[in-house]
Amino acid sequence: MSKLPFVTRRRFMMAAGSAAALGVSSARGQGRLQVNPGESQLPIAIPAFVPGTAADGQVGADIAGVITNNLRRSGLFAPIDPAAFIERITNIDVAPQFQSWKQINAQDLVTGRVTRQGDGRLKAEFRLWDVGTAQQLTGQQYVTSPEYWRRIAHIISDQIYERLTGEKGYFDTRVVFIDESGPSERRVKKLAIMDQDGANVRYLTRGADLVLTPRFSPSTQEITYMEFGQGDPRVYLYNIETGQREIVGNFPGVSFAPRFSPDGQRIIMSLQQGGNANLFVMDLRSKSTTRLTDTPAIDTSPSYAPDGSRICFESDRGGKPQIYVMAAGGGSAQRISFGDGTYSTPVWSPRGDYIAFTKQGNGEFAIGIMKPDGSGERILTSGFHNEGPTFAPNGRVLMFFRDPGGNSGPSLFTVDVSGRNELRVPTPGYASDPAWSPLLS
Amino acid sequence: MTAKDLIRKLRERKGTVLSVTLHVLVLGWGLVSFSARSLEAPEDVIPVDISMDDTSKMMQGIKTGKKENPKPLADKIGETKPIDDAVGKIDRKEVVTSTSAPDPTPKPVEKPIEKKPDPKPEPKKEEPKQAEKKPDQKADDPIADALKADAKKPPPKQETKAAPPQPPKPKERTFDQSKIAALLDKRDPSRQAVAGETLNSNAALGTPTGHANALVATWKGAFVSAVRRCFNFPYNGTDADQFEVDIDIQLRPDGSVASDPVIVATRGPSSSVSRALAESAKRAVVQCQAYAFLPKNQYDTWKYIPMTFGLKDML
Repeated sequence: MSKLPFVTRRRFMMAAGSAAALGVSSARGQGRLQVNPGESQLPIAIPAFVPGTAADGQVGADIAGVITNNLRRSGLFAPIDPAAFIERITNIDVAPQFQSWKQINAQDLVTGRVTRQGDGRLKAEFRLWDVGTAQQLTGQQYVTSPEYWRRIAHIISDQIYERLTGEKGYFDTRVVFIDESGPSERRVKKLAIMDQDGANVRYLTRGADLVLTPRFSPSTQEITYMEFGQGDPRVYLYNIETGQREIVGNFPGVSFAPRFSPDGQRIIMSLQQGGNANLFVMDLRSKSTTRLTDTPAIDTSPSYAPDGSRICFESDRGGKPQIYVMAAGGGSAQRISFGDGTYSTPVWSPRGDYIAFTKQGNGEFAIGIMKPDGSGERILTSGFHNEGPTFAPNGRVLMFFRDPGGNSGPSLFTVDVSGRNELRVPTPGYASDPAWSPLLS
Repeated sequence: MTAKDLIRKLRERKGTVLSVTLHVLVLGWGLVSFSARSLEAPEDVIPVDISMDDTSKMMQGIKTGKKENPKPLADKIGETKPIDDAVGKIDRKEVVTSTSAPDPTPKPVEKPIEKKPDPKPEPKKEEPKQAEKKPDQKADDPIADALKADAKKPPPKQETKAAPPQPPKPKERTFDQSKIAALLDKRDPSRQAVAGETLNSNAALGTPTGHANALVATWKGAFVSAVRRCFNFPYNGTDADQFEVDIDIQLRPDGSVASDPVIVATRGPSSSVSRALAESAKRAVVQCQAYAFLPKNQYDTWKYIPMTFGLKDML
């Protein structure tokens, strides 16, 4: 009689052990088989886009190259080396030979074509195929001036990313940053803008005046930044399209650390008042200014939550710089950072789920994230000097700058919010203070 | 003495007879219940000792197996793979095949140089036969075995003299510089032989008692492994463990997908990610079909499979 329970229990334990090792478990107690992904990187094949004429061959290959680079750098895709391709795509209007793509373990396949229209504009078409089920997942076509071919490649990258991950992409974006050149004691700092992958760098200022903390408008192609002109440092507004520049407000003393509200209608910033600094918000239409804090401390680096209801900011009101959260209209602030060291440059994720920060302690500067209530702190990278995090528009990737010190200069890096996939962003020279734009399209 | 005399004597000594009978019963019951438990044990271990890819094979019997031999063969008996001996480590001292029983003593193979060639052939060990006759009493309890072994105090070299049926030809002792790594490898060279070529060492008709539960667990593991090979989902958020999608799958007897997998429920902080996850999971199920390894005689247990796809291991 005692044999049965003994054997049954033992067998159950054995089976459970082996099941756990295999990833088999009962989900929610309903006897469901649990499966987790084999890989977090999707093997994808991106052959060169088929050219309409021989002259379009280069741009066809280049578009595929930009898409490949984007997807690879995301860390979520594993583009397959074109040398392994068996089938040569010559016509995107017929279904590919899926077996030959299966053979090289491609899970998805991108086929495309570039043709020159009668008006000289470039037409790019693409199809995304699921190799295993031989079904087209998405297909689009775009027409643009030939010089914007990279933009088309970024847009197609976003389409692929969104279709396969379920999240908005971040490839059709730009980054504004401070380009640094010259020796460390006479460093020239210019405001510059580039595509998120480091291409198409354009300089917005000539480097005569020192510029700092550029920030993108969430809704327009404008940036706000601080510039040391002839007088006190001031916050400026700059239109990227027109090149028009204006001072934000007319305040006595120094204004700094500006950032747009989520609707792009207001700019929140710090104003120096004696030895203190407080937060103010200015409506860009009415030019009216509202004080948000009034403390004998330095309140700075304000950043709105994506819904505009709250702001996070840095303050040393408790003795040393920490991160606080308060209602967007002001009022009592709640401290959310309690770890060792000091916390600065908080920035709220466009998703709303995290606040990124620079943390200083033990002689190191780390980039980290925490939830808006201060829980779940996670350090993503640390070292001698990392600073100034900025979120990609989908909130999954952060860009920051790292300065190794000495005679060297800073560089830009990206890292996932999970702390993985740290990559250097190519820039022509030293670079700091990046700010990621919203999606352009 | 006639039968009547015997009966009479027995009547005279009722107490003794009763006592003897009771003792026999009690001892017999103890023996039966004791052996019954240990007999079951190896069968219990079988479904656990599996590799992911060959779970079904491991449970499968061999048609030519003998019915009266329901126990699995001891793993280490029989042919071993030739061992790549870097230098012909010792002459005339063939690397021995382990016996069926777990060897509680350290194997002297690790120090072949110290071993003297033993001119006296040791009497053949009984393990192979024992393993076939009473495998359960043997390999079931390693601690008891170890105690027994201690009690007998067998010399270490006897343990290794399992008398291979055909001793390999002695190798000439050589030194190959390119095989220094192998020389430094102090692991038992017979480990490769133990791994063996035959994954199915169970030369029986299958377990006669029909462990349906264990078999179900086995095909489930194999099925999950198969689907997992096609299920890659790109995600880099920190909330991966919150995403789950329930998908019901119907299969034909040949293991192919009978109809479009049905998304029953999706959970997660982002509906668009959950939807992409669900579609990706459906594609994986279709892509990796047909699941021909599923045991046909248990079609009832897998013709309908409720599954949950999640992102738990992605952080």
